Amino acid sequence: MASMQKRLQRELKSIQTEPPPGVSINQNSVGSSLTQWIVDMEGASGTLYEGEKFQLQFKFSSKYPFDSPEVTFIGPNIPIHPHVYSNGHICLSILTEDWSPALSVQSVCLSIVSMLSSCTEKKRPPDNSLYVKTCSKNPKKTKWWYHDEKV
Amino acid sequence: MEGPSNAESSSKDPVKDGWNPDINQDEAIIAQQRQIEKDIADSIKLVGDKMDLSFLLSEYPDEDDVYKNKIKSLLKKYHLLRRTRPDGNCFFRGFTFAYFEYLITDAQELDRFIDVSNKIKDDLIALGFPSFTIEDIHENFMNALNSLKTKEVSNEEQLLNLFNEQGTSDYLVVFMRLLTSGYLQKNQEFYSSFLDSGLTMKNFCSHEVEPLNKESDHIHIIALTSAIGVGVCINYLDRAQGDQVTVHYFPDNCDPKIYLLYRPGHYDILYLRKDDV
Repeated sequence: MASMQKRLQRELKSIQTEPPPGVSINQNSVGSSLTQWIVDMEGASGTLYEGEKFQLQFKFSSKYPFDSPEVTFIGPNIPIHPHVYSNGHICLSILTEDWSPALSVQSVCLSIVSMLSSCTEKKRPPDNSLYVKTCSKNPKKTKWWYHDEKV
Repeated sequence: MEGPSNAESSSKDPVKDGWNPDINQDEAIIAQQRQIEKDIADSIKLVGDKMDLSFLLSEYPDEDDVYKNKIKSLLKKYHLLRRTRPDGNCFFRGFTFAYFEYLITDAQELDRFIDVSNKIKDDLIALGFPSFTIEDIHENFMNALNSLKTKEVSNEEQLLNLFNEQGTSDYLVVFMRLLTSGYLQKNQEFYSSFLDSGLTMKNFCSHEVEPLNKESDHIHIIALTSAIGVGVCINYLDRAQGDQVTVHYFPDNCDPKIYLLYRPGHYDILYLRKDDV
């Protein structure tokens, strides 16, 4: 537990002082235990999401950074993207099996910005309605199949 | 195309396949996996106590000549074994434990390894790893190494405590994984030829080397031992023909400081007879 809080404190400081472009931490969202954060994100200019605002929720377990954070889009605007379900769940391999403690909140944000930026057509995943109906509340409890790395 | 695997169920006939739409299949599968991991964690320590190697004989049936003969040949050279938890990290954790055990006895080698570890941190950052997380991982690794230097950890029992504290132990494993990844990426011109075609070294490392719990192959072992200049001797106990275990040294022709036993899918630590007092 101690190592998790120490690490999160550092991450918080780092994202406050050098936030990636278009990303900012929502200060009010961070409680004293640091186990839940909300990050505000803007669609990058020159992409399909230019001018849009999104919110990402991060939840950390006591095993962080060995256990990946649980990351979902929340709020009124969930990006329409082939890897983002309408309930905010994101299909991205670094959030489950390819997670490594060398990654961080910052690198997850960068991966998500880049996933959005490389999108060429705004649409939901083909199995969106079935998934949203049957899935667990926690996206880490989905056995994701990662089939492509194009978008 | 991609998506959650339970999407597959939609095309099946629920009655014929016994598929119950009220049960979340993914959650059930993952819960079962977690339970298996928990059962293993409850019964096998991350790094266990030394035990008499001859117990291996009781793990195979009497009529299994291949294994029995190989174990007998192994017993001529080694007499003790230390088990590691089969969690996908057994090579890295076993190797690191055995090496730290050696470092307790060799102050000069400890100083050399402290220098190597500091240099590796700079190399990793130069390779483009995020400095912020590398520093966190390196700092935790150095705390453990320094506890050897200050003699705060100076015997087997203290080392076992260090390696059985999950957080500390995982930081050690992660640093070893990252330095392996760094070495492979730095020398990718040579090592890429061992990968399946189309796979880049960067991809291989982020899928198969850096995440915890991914099992190790020869390429991990060659890279780790070359990166830190520490030799390992691995004894392969498998069903291959012959009555001797297959022995490999990494790097080739090294003078090994670490001896491991490999049984398909798992590594444990071995102790030479000559070390016995």
